[in-house]
Amino acid sequence: MAGRCRGCRHFRNDAKYLETMFKGLTSLSSAYGSVRSDDGICQRHGRYLRASASCGDFEAG
Amino acid sequence: MTNAELSTEQHAAPPLRWRELWLKEDWWAIWLGLGIVIVAYGFFANGGSIKWIAVTPPKWSDFSQLGAHFGANYLRYFAQFALWLAVFTVALTALGHRARDFLPSFVLLYALAIVIFAVGQWDKANSYNIEPPLLALAVGLVLSNLVGLPRWLDAGFRVEFYIKTGIVLLGATLPLTLIIWAGPVAILQASIVSLITFFVIYFVGVKLGLDKRLAATLGAGGAVCGVSAAIAISGAVGGKKEDAPIAITTVIIWAVLMIFVLPFAARALNLPAGVGGAWIGTSEFADAAGFAAAQTYGDLAAQGAVAGTSDQAVFAYTLIKVVGRDVWIGIWAFVLAVVATTRWDRDETGRKPDAAEIWWRFPKFVIGFLAASLLVTLATRGYSLGDYNKTVVPSLVAPIKDLRSWAFIFCFLSIGLTTRFRELASAGKKPFLAFSAGAIVNVIVGLLLSAVVFASHWEHLTR
Repeated sequence: MAGRCRGCRHFRNDAKYLETMFKGLTSLSSAYGSVRSDDGICQRHGRYLRASASCGDFEAG
Repeated sequence: MTNAELSTEQHAAPPLRWRELWLKEDWWAIWLGLGIVIVAYGFFANGGSIKWIAVTPPKWSDFSQLGAHFGANYLRYFAQFALWLAVFTVALTALGHRARDFLPSFVLLYALAIVIFAVGQWDKANSYNIEPPLLALAVGLVLSNLVGLPRWLDAGFRVEFYIKTGIVLLGATLPLTLIIWAGPVAILQASIVSLITFFVIYFVGVKLGLDKRLAATLGAGGAVCGVSAAIAISGAVGGKKEDAPIAITTVIIWAVLMIFVLPFAARALNLPAGVGGAWIGTSEFADAAGFAAAQTYGDLAAQGAVAGTSDQAVFAYTLIKVVGRDVWIGIWAFVLAVVATTRWDRDETGRKPDAAEIWWRFPKFVIGFLAASLLVTLATRGYSLGDYNKTVVPSLVAPIKDLRSWAFIFCFLSIGLTTRFRELASAGKKPFLAFSAGAIVNVIVGLLLSAVVFASHWEHLTR
């Protein structure tokens, strides 16, 4: 899906990665739950985003 | 695993959509929970019961009794351990965990759970104020913070998975008619408190100079469902990647504190079990933490220390927390995502959110909770109250309740075993102050609604 964070090389949203990045997440929650949907971290802008977001710095992954 | 190693791995996963049926723990909690309920009903309908495998330590007063029990029933415990191990391994492997990491971790967890369960059944436990949920939490905290456990053991300490499985099993013991009768009041009370708490945290945060996205993330953490809400909202509004860890730290500190404070505060105020459960449901932040507090208050009721029954505390808590607060997280996320993209950062990341997000973020385990309730309610609708208590409870409901207790103990232990205070991100003074303002207002308004406005409703729940 070109143009969206989901398809961008700067975007990471696998659950294991997020549980490593977000210290303490597993104490009272997890990255495997439905509420997270498929949000992930934009490593270029340092933002935590919806996979359906987009920006002008998109680079296909 | 270091960040450098992580950055060389595969980047974004493809959209889940309906693959979440086997790639999200909510759905696995449903499959496991409903599977157990269906098997239990299958045995019951054919004149049997799953109580052989739903073994728990009995009340005891000296070690010889306990030793005799384990000597006579070790095969049952072994079979139960094997059952849990098998079903959790299948689920966690499907979710991407490694079975070889989970096995040793779960052996430790189950061994600790047996000890906690047995200590809780000691006839002097009440005299020493030993409550199994609090003991499990305390033991876990000591092991992870003072003794120290290897990181790889975390593979079996899946707090959310255990609590969601336990909540689905809880559904089987809660009549659907009760949910329908008490649900609207739960939703009303929870909505009032959620909105007040959110706006207090948000406006205090903004007034203190916090970014609006961080203020909203903290607000949702306090108002809806703790850490899960915080990460849902942080993602929905596109917060900085540091926002979620700040909210996580703040929620954990408050939630752990509340586990120990709320049950004893409710007892000091002499609140009946249902009222105390409703207050805990309104004022705790995360499901798992709240269940530890509500179960503790239920245990106090079972001991006669407070009026009412254990079920009243747990059911009132569940109705307020799960039905009244958790289910709205998708709507919170959607509305705040719209606000973020149309008002807060019009010049930054684009694309308005899709309303379908409400569904994708819906905490699906609630469906399992309601389905389990519907299933058992329909299956037992032909029984008189006397027959229900004489036949259905011991053969069907009680064994499911016992397995639920195991799932909850796994969860309470896991909270402590995964909470390493030194490793939490620094929250900073301003986020902590903003969250604390909301938490204090929440506790006061929650008490007012539970113990005054809707007191009669919660006091007489299940009667």
